[in-house]
Amino acid sequence: MWERVKYWMETRIGLDDLVRSQVTDYRVPKNINIFYTLGFVAAAGYLIQVLSGILLLIYYVPHPDHAFKSVQFIMHKVPFGWLFRQMHVVGSNLMIAAIGLHMLTVFAMGNYKRPRELTWIGGALLLFVTIAFGFSGYLLPWTQLSYWATTVVTSIPTAVPVVGDFVAGILRGGDQVTGATLSRFFAFHVSILPPLFMLLVGIHLFLIKRIGISATPFGLHAEEKRPWTEYHKKSHADGYPYYPRFFQMDMLMVMVYLAVMFALITITPNLFFPEEATIPANPFKTPVTVRPEWYLLAPYQMLKIIPNKFLGIIIQLALFLVFLLWPFFDTEKEKNIMKRPLLRGLFLFSFVLWLILMFWGRS
Amino acid sequence: MRYLVLSVMMIMSLPSFSAAGYREDFAQEFLSKTWAGERIEENACIDCHSSEQMKPAFQDIVDEWKKSWHAQNTIYCQDCHGGDPKDPSVSMTHQRGFVGSPSARQVPEFCGKCHIGILKNYLESGHGKALRATGKGPHCTVCHGSHNVQRANIDIINEQRCAKCHSYERAKVMKQALFLVEKKAGEIEDGIKALRRAGVYPDEQERALFNTQAEFRTLFHTVDVSLVNERTDEFTRKLGAIEKDIQGTFIELRSRKNFSAFLMALFSGMGIVIFLITKTPDK
Repeated sequence: MWERVKYWMETRIGLDDLVRSQVTDYRVPKNINIFYTLGFVAAAGYLIQVLSGILLLIYYVPHPDHAFKSVQFIMHKVPFGWLFRQMHVVGSNLMIAAIGLHMLTVFAMGNYKRPRELTWIGGALLLFVTIAFGFSGYLLPWTQLSYWATTVVTSIPTAVPVVGDFVAGILRGGDQVTGATLSRFFAFHVSILPPLFMLLVGIHLFLIKRIGISATPFGLHAEEKRPWTEYHKKSHADGYPYYPRFFQMDMLMVMVYLAVMFALITITPNLFFPEEATIPANPFKTPVTVRPEWYLLAPYQMLKIIPNKFLGIIIQLALFLVFLLWPFFDTEKEKNIMKRPLLRGLFLFSFVLWLILMFWGRS
Repeated sequence: MRYLVLSVMMIMSLPSFSAAGYREDFAQEFLSKTWAGERIEENACIDCHSSEQMKPAFQDIVDEWKKSWHAQNTIYCQDCHGGDPKDPSVSMTHQRGFVGSPSARQVPEFCGKCHIGILKNYLESGHGKALRATGKGPHCTVCHGSHNVQRANIDIINEQRCAKCHSYERAKVMKQALFLVEKKAGEIEDGIKALRRAGVYPDEQERALFNTQAEFRTLFHTVDVSLVNERTDEFTRKLGAIEKDIQGTFIELRSRKNFSAFLMALFSGMGIVIFLITKTPDK
């Protein structure tokens, strides 16, 4: 039966050739390392989010009167509803961490350099879309924690003169976080961000296939050092086939991702559900501490310590642009960060500063 | 290209410096104001009673209320006294429903607007009848206080207070009955808190406890010793059922933990198998 299906497909779409060209004959550099699997891990993480999200969508009601109750129904009445919600919540945080780590390692290995500037920009945009996923999904359970965290974050644009209140109004659908905000965030979370994410993933994958995987700076390959005057695909003819060798590495890391996810659910099931996440949103009762999610804590803290909020927002926008367009700022040919003390210092300084701001924002 | 980007960034940052001056006030207000506290509305009662122009005896009312159980449950001045806290010019007019401070005889109805069951039982009790007949019986604020009202607790019943009017013996018997039920209720409350800490929203258990406690306390205001003794077992049973429900939830949480631990072990095992495959030399 299977052979017949295969034959049917083969005669129509050339299945063997497709598998050969895209999987078995597709070569990756010999000196490839485990960090190259993080993109695949993030994609697997997204698939988990989609599947668990669809299951949550069956029972979730995006209305202020029902959102909290429907989430509690999922947690306590729906068979294995708790598991899918935990996977969705823990997964969203792990996915941001995986993409962040992916970008960090790409940066450290200098793989954003010519001719892969567009691949970097696509990846950075994917990180921001993932954060937007996290931020929009955070409000949906309509808890005290999510309500007030959203109030804080949607207040930030009000510091911008002239258009600030308008932007905040667009985000909230009014002056306050209300049912209109919930509807907007829900629509954004389930119907606008997913196609945008898939489009960016498509572009990212196309660029990786079209340009070829970059070799790490620790190996022998130094072709990029020559002047770049025409399109040239890096095919790694002497490299390993993607399947089975690198695919096994990808799958190994996906298993690590899943093991970490279930370890968090087992050991610290309340890591992302503090007490205020079990209280329905009350617009008239401000919690003692209001803060956004961990991945927004550093920019939040930065805004708090800069006396002029508008200046703070401009600085953050500038930092965002520098991050997004970094390949155009760093035009040095040397990829190895170990041979570039200034870049190494900047990298470590930025990372430590981010950690300090994050923990400061949490305290 | 990078010069172009740098130029754009510099141009973008210029308005921020220019805006920094003229929007100074806004920035100051924005900085000092809690971002999340925008929905706290102005309250004429609180503003006037906190001001220096108010009589010293009335100034403490706001502070007392802020520490009260009512304040913790967002029960504001107008909820008891009526009136309109949004408009100082008419806030204390009868047209806006202002009723002011009640006399001793009016206190039970004043509090009974919300505490309906307790009002009924109190009015049928010896205490209520005495108040109605003479205007001098113990009423709500005698035992519970007024603006600084705290969550009812067993220590409200004490010899010093009760012996002012009659012997303490009957009150002592009721306090014993109350003690057992309240102790059990306290344990359940701890269980509910633990559930909340475990990420559970114990709405059903909390509501059941609240209803049972409220019913028991309502009964208690009859100050009928035999009736209280008679029904104490019934309330203990009801509380027992809630306790069992809480324990059931903890068992469910443990089974969830075990299941996710199984999944963790499963994926770890699969990871180890794949790792061993990657280490197997190619044929």
